[in-house]
Amino acid sequence: MDEIKNVIELNNVTKDYGDFKLDKVSFYVPEGSVCGFIGQNGAGKTTTINLILDIIKRDGGDVRVFGQNVDQDSASLREDIGVVFDEMGFHEFMTGRDINIMMKNIYKNWDEATFFEYLKRFSLPSKKKCGDFSRGMRMKLQIAAALSHNAKLLVMDEPTSGLDPIVRNEMTDIFREFVLQEDHTILLSSHITSDLEKIADEVVFINGGRIVLSGNKDEILEKHGILRCKKEALSKISTSLVVGSEMSSFGCEVLVNDRHAAAKLYPDMVCESASLEQIMLYYVSADRR
Amino acid sequence: MKGLILKDVMSLKHQLKIFVFVLFGVVVTSILFVLSARFGNLALAGREMLRTEQASDIDVKNLATVALVLFMLLPIATVGDVVNVFQADGKAGFYRIAGAFPLPVSKRLLARFLTIYALFGIGTLIDLVLALVLSSLTDLIRFRDFCGIILSAASVMSIYSALVIFFCILMGYGSQSYAQIFSLLSMGLALILCNLKYCGSLIKAITTDQSGSLDMTIFWRPLDFIKEKFWILVLIAVIVSIVSYVVSLKVALRKRGVI
Repeated sequence: MDEIKNVIELNNVTKDYGDFKLDKVSFYVPEGSVCGFIGQNGAGKTTTINLILDIIKRDGGDVRVFGQNVDQDSASLREDIGVVFDEMGFHEFMTGRDINIMMKNIYKNWDEATFFEYLKRFSLPSKKKCGDFSRGMRMKLQIAAALSHNAKLLVMDEPTSGLDPIVRNEMTDIFREFVLQEDHTILLSSHITSDLEKIADEVVFINGGRIVLSGNKDEILEKHGILRCKKEALSKISTSLVVGSEMSSFGCEVLVNDRHAAAKLYPDMVCESASLEQIMLYYVSADRR
Repeated sequence: MKGLILKDVMSLKHQLKIFVFVLFGVVVTSILFVLSARFGNLALAGREMLRTEQASDIDVKNLATVALVLFMLLPIATVGDVVNVFQADGKAGFYRIAGAFPLPVSKRLLARFLTIYALFGIGTLIDLVLALVLSSLTDLIRFRDFCGIILSAASVMSIYSALVIFFCILMGYGSQSYAQIFSLLSMGLALILCNLKYCGSLIKAITTDQSGSLDMTIFWRPLDFIKEKFWILVLIAVIVSIVSYVVSLKVALRKRGVI
């Protein structure tokens, strides 16, 4: 049987900015998966991505991409990585054609035909300056560039933030197409959990520079649940099950980390499945307390 | 790396348009100047200065040469300012994308140096062609002396650019103006420190002159130096560029996200 390979592996990675610290971050992204990297703004998603891409220097720990330490030959590793950032990064005076000229002289595997096909598919004019593009068009341009050099790993930092639902949907379709090939992997950071719920296989949840939760998305959704009860009943619930709770005028909502156990222990209470967004919100508010 | 050089040239597109206009202006003006110095009003003015003993033969010749040289330096000075490339990259947030390219920091930095030196190379070449044409029209200056002056100018611009690159990398995005000021100050300081004796005699000559007819030969010494010993400046430019590259690379590797 083939062993499952990890395309990205982070082991006790630290980065200290003084006012913010990425604290012993460890997680992995298996080959062929879509990994959703979630967390609120300022949680450390961008810093982690920058460390994976070796754009910034880490203070400690190991980062391995395609099984190789990023310190050793990160430049050649990046041939196989397509990158999409939250901001375009290309100069506003550049046109699609200019970007093609630049990229074909940077990436060994740059595929000009694929790039122009994507531009056509995304209805992006190749002669128009990208400074005149809308935010959605700019993101599409970045995705076109990221997908045109036969990358095996796509690393995206908030590519869907600030986009309307139609464009976001288009993008998730493209991501799905990309991972149809077995050896293609995506690490997608976002705080829009509904997008990730659609496409992610794995989820890594970061908060305050620490990994709170990581693993298979379905397993995480299957395990967690929202328990509805009266305020007086809250104290009866085992603290080992409770992640966080919210009071309302109608009663109390509790996020539990083992909903099947909770359903057995408290049959008189209603236990529903939780969404990624709810899980994120409860973990964040529990962390604040 | 070629891709980054092309991108940098694209960043300087606007400046290169200015370069073409300046070049056209310089070609026209310098040819008119040379013709006037030979057959027109400038020739008459020179003769008049000699007749009234306001200036010596050498002074008149050197004054005309300096004016011509200033015209000739304009194309090199406008061919490309590396600060604009840093500014454009910072404004677009290009550093992050560049960091994700399959190019090590050393190559990304080398691309920046090569872009600017390639442009100076083009500027120098065009100036040399112009100098060849002008030297055939005038006896004010020989082609060999022209070459010395043009190469000296290109060397000074290279030193300035190498320093600007270093300061831009050291101080990061948003400090381009400071990088320019620090580079100019460093160059000025180095120039004064290396020529303390000359500076002293120059100040002395100006302050002690009572007659009103200052001996101009002291002013022509730098001109003679760059005509005859331009290779010293070329050598300094090469050394400063290498040192700037090595030190900038160390800073860029430590800081990351600056190139």
